[in-house]
Amino acid sequence: MSIALRIVLIVGACIVLMFVISKIRQARFSTGDSLFWLLLSFGLVVLALFPSISFFLSGLLGVQSPSNFIFLAVIALLLVREFSLQNQIAQLTRKITTLAQEIALKNEDRSRQG
Amino acid sequence: MSTLVIIPAYNEEESIVSTVQELIGKVPGVQYVVVNDGSLDSTAELCKMHNFNLIDLPVNLGLTGAFQTGMKYAYQHGFERAIQFDADGQHDPRFIPILERRMQESNADIVIGSRFIGCKKPHSLRMLGSNLISTLIHATTGTAINDPTSGMRLYNKSVIELFSKRSDLTPEPETIAFLIKRRGMRVVEEQVTMRERTTGESYLTPSKAVIYMANACSSILFSLWFRR
Repeated sequence: MSIALRIVLIVGACIVLMFVISKIRQARFSTGDSLFWLLLSFGLVVLALFPSISFFLSGLLGVQSPSNFIFLAVIALLLVREFSLQNQIAQLTRKITTLAQEIALKNEDRSRQG
Repeated sequence: MSTLVIIPAYNEEESIVSTVQELIGKVPGVQYVVVNDGSLDSTAELCKMHNFNLIDLPVNLGLTGAFQTGMKYAYQHGFERAIQFDADGQHDPRFIPILERRMQESNADIVIGSRFIGCKKPHSLRMLGSNLISTLIHATTGTAINDPTSGMRLYNKSVIELFSKRSDLTPEPETIAFLIKRRGMRVVEEQVTMRERTTGESYLTPSKAVIYMANACSSILFSLWFRR
């Protein structure tokens, strides 16, 4: 694993942290939202500081090089994230639909009474 | 005495009626509101049938959203204090006036109904988590909170206003730490006893417990320093 890749990983982790901190400052993120990004940047730093971890894991999976293992890991993580986001969007859509219907029904009810 | 008792309820049809009736019976003149958090069972119907004071959320918002709804209600109606009260029968209403008196005497912003001031915590996995959160809060704020996960908390008017105006406050230990550290609020504990839950299951499954702990730890150790 090249020094350049390791530096990129650490810089990337720092940038992620900076974005998360600015969101927390603006009270836009609940603490739960920031947990994933915290763990992600922590993981990137660990992989950059201890290349032997990715050497070991790429050997285990038969991946050609440790950097390929890191790409694979990040892609897998993104897919999991994508799935959970899709799930959350579906949930939000359902809730908004319910809310809109509820408001419309209440308005109709009120206009009938008034 | 103007305290609002906020009772978030999600699928509590087995206990909601007895909980509210006991509350009304044991605390004369009590003002309360049940926040039905989009229950799938007959919680809302039972409340309407018994003429309970009810806010009926059309969708499930989770405990945080339901509790915030109660805090907004308290803020809009000018209540001096608000207390979080479980719908499942774990909380004993006799302690409500005791917590109120403690708040007046100590001039605290938050009074926590604590199970473990005098007595030692039992040894269990759940208490290990509770101890860990206590330690983190003590390390970051310098305040000793023996029972940070207690769901019975009395808040004063300034906290009610904060809860109703910002969306990132939760009825969880991390908020206690934030309010002490960043807002200089005073938090005290008052000894209470709690009952075993009479009905239903605890929502804290092992996987949820792990996420709960990860959240609590990361927000006390990390987010705390950047929130305002």
